[in-house]
Amino acid sequence: MVQPLSGQAIYVILLRELKRYWRAKARIIASVAQSLFFLATFGLGLGGFIGGFGGITYLSYLAPGIIGMGLLFGSVFSGVSVIFDRQFGFLKEMLVAPVSRTSIVLGKILGGAVTASIQGIILMTVAGLMGAFTPTPTLVMGAVAAVGVMLLITAGFVGLGVAIGSVLNDFHAFQLLATFVMWPLFILSGVFFPVDVAPFPVQVAILFDPLFYGVELLRWCLLGAGTPLLGPFGWLTALGVLVGFTAVMVGIGTYLFSRAQV
Amino acid sequence: MTAIVHASNLTKIFNGTVKAVDHVSFEVEKGEILGFLGPNGAGKTTTLNMLSTLLRSTSGAATVNGYDILKESDAVRRSIGFVFQDPTLDIELTGIENLDFHGRIYGLKRDVREQRIEEMLEVVQLTDRADDFVKTYSGGMKRRLEIARGLLHYPPVLFLDEPTLGLDPQTRRAIWEHIQRLNRDKNVTIILTTHYTEEADYLCNRILIIDFGKIVALDTPDKLKARLEGDVVSLTFKDPAAIAKTRPLLEKKDWIRRVDIVSGVNNQAAMSRMMQMMRRMPGAGGMGGMMPGLSPANAGGGGKMPKHVEQMLAQGMVGANGQHGHNGGPKCLNLLVDDGGHRIPEIVKLVDGTGTVLESVELHKPTLDDVFLSVTGRNIRDERGSFMETVRRRRIIRHARGQRVRG
Repeated sequence: MVQPLSGQAIYVILLRELKRYWRAKARIIASVAQSLFFLATFGLGLGGFIGGFGGITYLSYLAPGIIGMGLLFGSVFSGVSVIFDRQFGFLKEMLVAPVSRTSIVLGKILGGAVTASIQGIILMTVAGLMGAFTPTPTLVMGAVAAVGVMLLITAGFVGLGVAIGSVLNDFHAFQLLATFVMWPLFILSGVFFPVDVAPFPVQVAILFDPLFYGVELLRWCLLGAGTPLLGPFGWLTALGVLVGFTAVMVGIGTYLFSRAQV
Repeated sequence: MTAIVHASNLTKIFNGTVKAVDHVSFEVEKGEILGFLGPNGAGKTTTLNMLSTLLRSTSGAATVNGYDILKESDAVRRSIGFVFQDPTLDIELTGIENLDFHGRIYGLKRDVREQRIEEMLEVVQLTDRADDFVKTYSGGMKRRLEIARGLLHYPPVLFLDEPTLGLDPQTRRAIWEHIQRLNRDKNVTIILTTHYTEEADYLCNRILIIDFGKIVALDTPDKLKARLEGDVVSLTFKDPAAIAKTRPLLEKKDWIRRVDIVSGVNNQAAMSRMMQMMRRMPGAGGMGGMMPGLSPANAGGGGKMPKHVEQMLAQGMVGANGQHGHNGGPKCLNLLVDDGGHRIPEIVKLVDGTGTVLESVELHKPTLDDVFLSVTGRNIRDERGSFMETVRRRRIIRHARGQRVRG
């Protein structure tokens, strides 16, 4: 069923997500700090032990992956927040309005993508200040491209979150979600080690992790095209996979949200 | 007068078997206040959800403001305002922001939006709290904000689902005044649901009594009450067994028109009197509702409770309301009697003659409670909803009452 889209409705819902995000300062600080702990302990601590490889420091290798982690957690939770909207009743206010459910869910996905990407930009900046990225003129362009990649990654994962939130009916399943969906996605995204050092089954699993392609693209943007640490594919393949993943997830999220009972 | 809502044979069947609403047909005139009166689970909310396009009807048809609820759902939703039974505000936003969200999503232009928000805040007397976060509002303030929001886009029809559930008497009275003023000044047609007979009696031009998904009566409060000519004499016995002994004797008297068995506590007469007193109370309305924290923010107000405690509470409530359960059946009879005052001695003598002991005798004019009892055969105050329904209502009531104002 094709439903008419309302730009105004999408914008209003995006606005609400931004307001709520901006007000929950404690949550912003907590999630940024969590990522920074990873970056500091692994990047500087473990990195000092390992040294570097392939001509870059371990911190540089790690930083895009940690940004990816922030994006993943931020966006999935943002999508799953449709459960809270339902629990606290606000969903009804949206559903009784004269706009299509598709507009509502797209506003929700856009809002989640923008807020999670803001998180990613903060992390990228801090990682840059820690010396993770070599300051070159192309880094500026790379950073801009990275923001685009972030929006793409987060839109896909908010879609996943919305899909899960539309099917699940209570937040007791949160723990399960974190353990069995988000951690595997994170660990297998090639954040800590390059794909080719892993045993074969793990390599296969990594290739099925959409976040892996996102992190690859972020590395490509932030560390430069010459970095030898990329996986078996070029940036174009990674981008193609990511676009496909995001399109499918937004589609599934929209579909499941549209047919969910109030 | 023209009908603004028209329903014919509206039906909703859940899971293929449960008939929540069963071939309901009615019309609502432009400018009237129509009340759906019925116990929990009677089908009131389901009917409203179908009319507002939130729920698809299984069969039957309806139009709202001239638009078909199935084929023109967007136009229907533009024509209505809906104040839900459960809270539906975003408590992380301020009062103004909640209204602004609503105005934008309904496509109101900026200047119109700002002017309406100001106007509506004025109507529900929340202007001075508009910039505070909704999480700091009392239950009554939240309710009023929801009403303001439901009206922001000037809907010709406003649905109010249990508008005063769980509110204290002062706030309830204030909300009633708002509803009447909106109906009068803005010419909004109002359809509300309630299981409070006093509310239906006080507010509504016409009352639709619904039970087990079917309409059992539809008329003005006065005409409904006129169906029960005479007086109601309520007899409460010490022993439930007395019902069986005395009822046949009473039914034989030609001056007793009806004999109804009342399950639960026979307190409806007392309740009605209380409500009447409240209406006369000076200063009870209007500003009364403006005083947050006036309601007893009682147990359970302090945040989330463990689930088992909540369940125990709910069970406790079931126990308290289902009094007929543990004492072996109902103990009250309601008699509809011509010239009741003069007949009381005769009734008492008759009962005494059977050797049963009376606990109390009450006389009152028929209220809507009595009407409800006579058309459905049950007391409206009986909780007969499912266990989960009871838990849910308990939560709403606690939510409405329990919010203290911070600062």
